[in-house]
Amino acid sequence: MKIPFKYNLRSMWARRVGTLMTAAGVGLTVAIVIVMMAMVVGLTSAFVDSGHDNQLIVVRKGSLNEVNSYFGRDLYQTVRYLPGIDRDEEDQPLASPEIIVVINWPRASGEDTNVTMRGIGEKGFELRPEMKIVGGRRFEPGVREIIASRSISERFHGFQLGQQVQINDAPWKVVGIFDAGGTAYDSEIMSSYSDIAQEWERPIYSSILLRVDDPDDRQAIIKRIEDDENIQLQAVPQDEYFADQTSSAGPVVVLGTFVAVLMGVGACFAAMNMMYATIMSRVKEVATLRALGFKRRSILSSFLLESIVLTLLAGIVGGLMALPMNGITTGTANMGPNGSFAEVIFQFRISPPVLLAGLIFSLGVGIVGGFLPALRAARVRLVDALRD
Amino acid sequence: MKFLRLLIKNMLRNKRRTFLTVSSIAVSLFLVATLVTVLVQLQNPPETPDSALRLIVRHRVSLFNTLPISYRDKIAQVEGVEAVVGQMWFGGYWKDPSNFFANFSVNPDQLFEVYPDIQVPEDQKEAFKSQRTAALVGRNLAEQMGWKLGDRITLISNLFRFSPELTIRAIYEGGTDDDTTLYFHWDYFNEGMGGADILGTYTVRVASKELISPVSEEIDRVFRNSNPPTKTETERAFILGFVNMLGNIQFLISSICSVVVFTVILVAATTMAMAIRERGREIAILKALGFRTRLILSLLLSEAVLLAALAAFIGSAGAWAVFAISGFGAGFIPRLVVPGWVIAMCVAIGALVGLVSSGVPAWRASRITVVDAMRRIV
Repeated sequence: MKIPFKYNLRSMWARRVGTLMTAAGVGLTVAIVIVMMAMVVGLTSAFVDSGHDNQLIVVRKGSLNEVNSYFGRDLYQTVRYLPGIDRDEEDQPLASPEIIVVINWPRASGEDTNVTMRGIGEKGFELRPEMKIVGGRRFEPGVREIIASRSISERFHGFQLGQQVQINDAPWKVVGIFDAGGTAYDSEIMSSYSDIAQEWERPIYSSILLRVDDPDDRQAIIKRIEDDENIQLQAVPQDEYFADQTSSAGPVVVLGTFVAVLMGVGACFAAMNMMYATIMSRVKEVATLRALGFKRRSILSSFLLESIVLTLLAGIVGGLMALPMNGITTGTANMGPNGSFAEVIFQFRISPPVLLAGLIFSLGVGIVGGFLPALRAARVRLVDALRD
Repeated sequence: MKFLRLLIKNMLRNKRRTFLTVSSIAVSLFLVATLVTVLVQLQNPPETPDSALRLIVRHRVSLFNTLPISYRDKIAQVEGVEAVVGQMWFGGYWKDPSNFFANFSVNPDQLFEVYPDIQVPEDQKEAFKSQRTAALVGRNLAEQMGWKLGDRITLISNLFRFSPELTIRAIYEGGTDDDTTLYFHWDYFNEGMGGADILGTYTVRVASKELISPVSEEIDRVFRNSNPPTKTETERAFILGFVNMLGNIQFLISSICSVVVFTVILVAATTMAMAIRERGREIAILKALGFRTRLILSLLLSEAVLLAALAAFIGSAGAWAVFAISGFGAGFIPRLVVPGWVIAMCVAIGALVGLVSSGVPAWRASRITVVDAMRRIV
């Protein structure tokens, strides 16, 4: 026969101060675990959500990153007229030749880091439909105008609308602020290809962005570029390209796992302590339950349930405590093996799966922390208890 | 002191509870000790008397822009400069992109002038210098990759189309990089690149520590109106620059640590309260025997402080032991070494946790009146 759940609730209530404090302790642990996960998810999705599967990025063969890629300008003409590339109303191929430079720049908080500056072709905006101008306007080529992402303008010195900044010893004007919908482009500054190539004296391209809607054409183009030994280029689907960049989340994953595991172990000890205390002070009650005919198994499950309820409560509290971190913006350098060493801006993402994982974590703490004490309760011997 | 036995007896009264309390505090302070050590080591890159004399000159706009090779002579002429070596980051990997490590092409003679801390047996040094395709690798890198002297390896770069075929001719020790770098001849690189004539950074050795700032200012002044201008900083500042790029780690780590400590206080407070409540009868006896309130209070407090400090010691010294034995390290922290003062700090945090968590229940318990006490005993 099952012991009524009400019994557990009432006994938790009877020791409410201890219950609440343990719940708060475990809750804080869950909150930290959730925040660490939200960081990993945020950093990963800054890349994963960036690509479209109907677009290709063409880079130098062997380059793992646009920053490390460069090739002669003549190759653009070869690539641009490959059959299968989508065309606009004027029958021009939807292709944007681009250049990436990295500039050393101070964050608003003071430290220097690297910021990606991208020069895009005329079709660059059309190929990035997620990118919207949210302040000011687009840049005009030829007059050293730049647009900065909203995140960049919030996190860095100088890149606010209307500001004049000195980059590579020339004045540039910030004429627009854009929002790229949480993609990797939200960590960039953009201008026209020609302005950057000219100012940096680099008559090269770093990459070409193409749109190819038909999957067969896409495969054909990838193969054709791959096979052409003369051009030494490779085409990568844009989504795969960005997915490969997620290795920069590595250190955060290591840190997060380390913190989560240790705090989880600590929380299990704490929960166990609490459960032992509550059971040892209730030995008489437990014995009475046994005398009333409740099976050892029901006692075991009843106390295990109590532990789980306690930690699930903590899990909910922890989730609520972590929630205000959702959407907070931060940044780190992309230092993975494929990395560009430039700043990646991302948001903490406390998504439903992250919250669910937090609850599962607290469930685990409840089961591990509650099992031994519950077993102890189930082993209470009638005679011993009644002798007291 | 004469009450120490009583304190210890009391701690051992409920062994399971003591064990669980100590474990949860110890695990948490293991975490705190590790995180604080990570932060401290990130902010204090390894330094030797030689590395403190080195400056790094780079393109002012970004590390991604290269410098002309003509800059070497101009830098060498600056007063106070003892030696200069140009270094070119190659961005190479061996076999698979995951075998990623620092690798530079350099002029071997100049390298040893600037880095006297790099220890290489004389015969190996000569072998490295005399063969154009020779490579010099750090001992730890060699161990990691399983390389031996005479092994031939091909580096593949994600930056350059040139893939140098190298022979390992020398293995060094004693570098501030924990011996994890590969060096090869810049001449070979330049030839492979069709005479690109580029260098990424120049590393400068100055004669004495006092010359660090005048020399770095002078170098930047020399190139102020050149194209490109330079930025010169100490080796330490250069490394810290990379650490800063990682983001606001200090804030991240200190927030995690504060929450951990707060959690420990909550958890410890629950146990201490339980432990003291169960002891009402005993405290009453002490009271009735004439023990002063203050003595009882300090007995209860010292028990908690002792227990928590001990747990903190187990946790933080355990962290020291674990990392000392495993030799764990990665990236900017080649070896995690928990310093003594971090252990001391953790013990202090533990003592504080004990005091705070037992304060209220101990105070309440000690203030029981003798009349109440008598009533409880009887």
